[in-house]
Amino acid sequence: MRVILESKVRKKPNIPIEAEAIIPRNFLKGTDLLVYEGNKERTLSELFWIFVEGTAVSPENIEVVLKGDTSRIKRVGEYMDTGSILISGDIGMHCGNFMSGGTIEILGNADAWLGREMRGGTILCRGNAGHYCATGYRGEKKGMQGGRVEVFGSAGDFCAEYLAGGEVHVHGSVGDFPGVEMRGGQLIIDGDATRPCANMKDGTCVILGRVHEMIPTFEKVERRVIPEWNITADVYRGDIANRGKGTLMVKTAGSE
Amino acid sequence: MIINDVVCPFCGCLCDDLELEVEGDRILRVQNGCSLSEATFMNDTRLPAPIRRTASGWEEIPYADAIKETADILRDSDRPLLYGWSSTHGETQSVGVHIAERIGAVIDNTSTVCHGPSILAIQEVGHPGCTLGQVKNRADVIIYWGCNPIEAHPRHMSRYTTFATGFFVPDAQRERTIIVVDTRRNDSGGIADEFVQIEPGGDYAVLSALRAIVRGKESIIPKKVAGIAKEQLIRIAGICTNAKFGAIFFGLGLTMSRGKYKNVRNAIELTDELNRHTKFVISPMRGHGNVYGSNEVFTWMTGYPFAVDFARGIAFYNPGETTAVDILRRGECDAALIVASDPGAHFPRAAAEHLAKIPTVLIDPHVNATTALSRIQIPCTAAGIDAAGTAYRMDGVPIRLRKVIDRGYPDDAEILKKIYDRLNGELGP
Ligand code: SF4
Repeated sequence: MRVILESKVRKKPNIPIEAEAIIPRNFLKGTDLLVYEGNKERTLSELFWIFVEGTAVSPENIEVVLKGDTSRIKRVGEYMDTGSILISGDIGMHCGNFMSGGTIEILGNADAWLGREMRGGTILCRGNAGHYCATGYRGEKKGMQGGRVEVFGSAGDFCAEYLAGGEVHVHGSVGDFPGVEMRGGQLIIDGDATRPCANMKDGTCVILGRVHEMIPTFEKVERRVIPEWNITADVYRGDIANRGKGTLMVKTAGSE
Repeated sequence: MIINDVVCPFCGCLCDDLELEVEGDRILRVQNGCSLSEATFMNDTRLPAPIRRTASGWEEIPYADAIKETADILRDSDRPLLYGWSSTHGETQSVGVHIAERIGAVIDNTSTVCHGPSILAIQEVGHPGCTLGQVKNRADVIIYWGCNPIEAHPRHMSRYTTFATGFFVPDAQRERTIIVVDTRRNDSGGIADEFVQIEPGGDYAVLSALRAIVRGKESIIPKKVAGIAKEQLIRIAGICTNAKFGAIFFGLGLTMSRGKYKNVRNAIELTDELNRHTKFVISPMRGHGNVYGSNEVFTWMTGYPFAVDFARGIAFYNPGETTAVDILRRGECDAALIVASDPGAHFPRAAAEHLAKIPTVLIDPHVNATTALSRIQIPCTAAGIDAAGTAYRMDGVPIRLRKVIDRGYPDDAEILKKIYDRLNGELGP
């Protein structure tokens, strides 16, 4: 079954919509769902043109497609456990919060907190991701714990903060403090990074581009060939300031 | 008439030993205060009556009309923002939170542009702090990091640190070691025993390096970190571990420079590390008189200290998303109520500009930069001058602000209560 939601034109297009109801499972029982525009409760049909194609008996066969201006819609895919969501444009904050299964694909850019506290499933972002991509909530000791986030563009600051499990792969560059407070999982950055893995406790980070402002409390242990990546890399342990046992691998310039 | 033990409401020190001479509704003389406090009490020019913007300028309107119109604006809004709260008393702040909950607004205070990052860091790793009295009586090592108390908190040094005689530090000037860390040598740096000049944005790296040195891992530290020689870092770590009682005070140089809350977190974790060797505490130098109070009031009412979003009826908190600057910059809110602050002067331009595009109401005794962005301004009392109420000092100690004169203005808590009652009547109980 496919559910296509096309956003309607709004009088105040900047007011955020909170739409945690948009997960595949919810459409098994129909499209009578509630979302919020600012402090007002709205039905899904007040904000979207809804088209349903085919039928489904179980949620894993449901695909939700979002079209139109969706850049201010928050929490799409929150607590999603199965099925798939395809977003043809940009998506607002907190897409895929607490997600445990299924797939979200974003053809445009994703705003901040993409895949926050994710536990399983896959998020593919074809454009750029904002700040706090694949992280946790404020003050939470664990961020993303499982699943996979792949960003084909760049990501903002604090990418994979508190990463505790799963894999985050950014094909472009990231901003300041990627992998800060990391305690598990794997972070791969194809491009450049600034101050990576500050205060990390555990986990692995691989940087194929350049590192700006290496944190001074990382101890270089060796230079070796990393077969999985087919590169020669400097391998660091840290963060020593935090008694950390994490691994940071930075590709040495010119190695293939 | 002479009034003793008056509290200065201007900065987070809330000095409570001022002596004022008053006559009728005028203050004639301020004693014991610093120049900032004198300006607060003496240059107190008020907006005489509520004003409303017209096509060509401003017109005076009665309080009742201003209150009704403000309630109408808030009621009609789909995403109202209530911002400010740092220069008034707790009683006003609490009515503000009630209004926010009633109308599904976002309520935020000025920590969003000063010590919000400190709060985020404290939420991550806790706060090893103490009252200023403890510092005064015990601390023999004081670190001022990214702040300039001589300018911003002029009596901090004389009441609590450098020049203050303490019970266990009778000869303060000789017995206390003062370290100042900043990107350039300021006035406070001039009287420091050790001045540490850090490259802009280098705080995080230096704090990490100090943590590693205190742990005995100095061998991995490079020769220079953010412009500071390794020898100096080792010397500072030595001063700290040999202290009987150390206190770190930090300001916007740490919270608002690159890395923001991670800088503060790193400083807290350094304090934590030092506590394995001796007693060490850390505290933010809170700016506006009662900004700490707004955090206290918001927290006991909503569970969160700032940036609280009631759009869904329950409190949601996420700085970066629900903070006033971010909401304005994204053009989200469609009405704003500003109380006891001046975002027009302190917000980034794009954020301030949005205030001019939407109906904005300002409740503040003085004409300020936000007046120019507002549609209505309602003057009120100034807490600590012609209104009494509770304020919190930078170390979290509540102090009762006193009313020293009466100038005939209504209290801002009273104005807000009337707005709240109107909203309640119209929105149903
Ligand atoms: S230090 Fe602050 S509280 Fe004390 S008198 Fe000066 S301005 Fe007022």
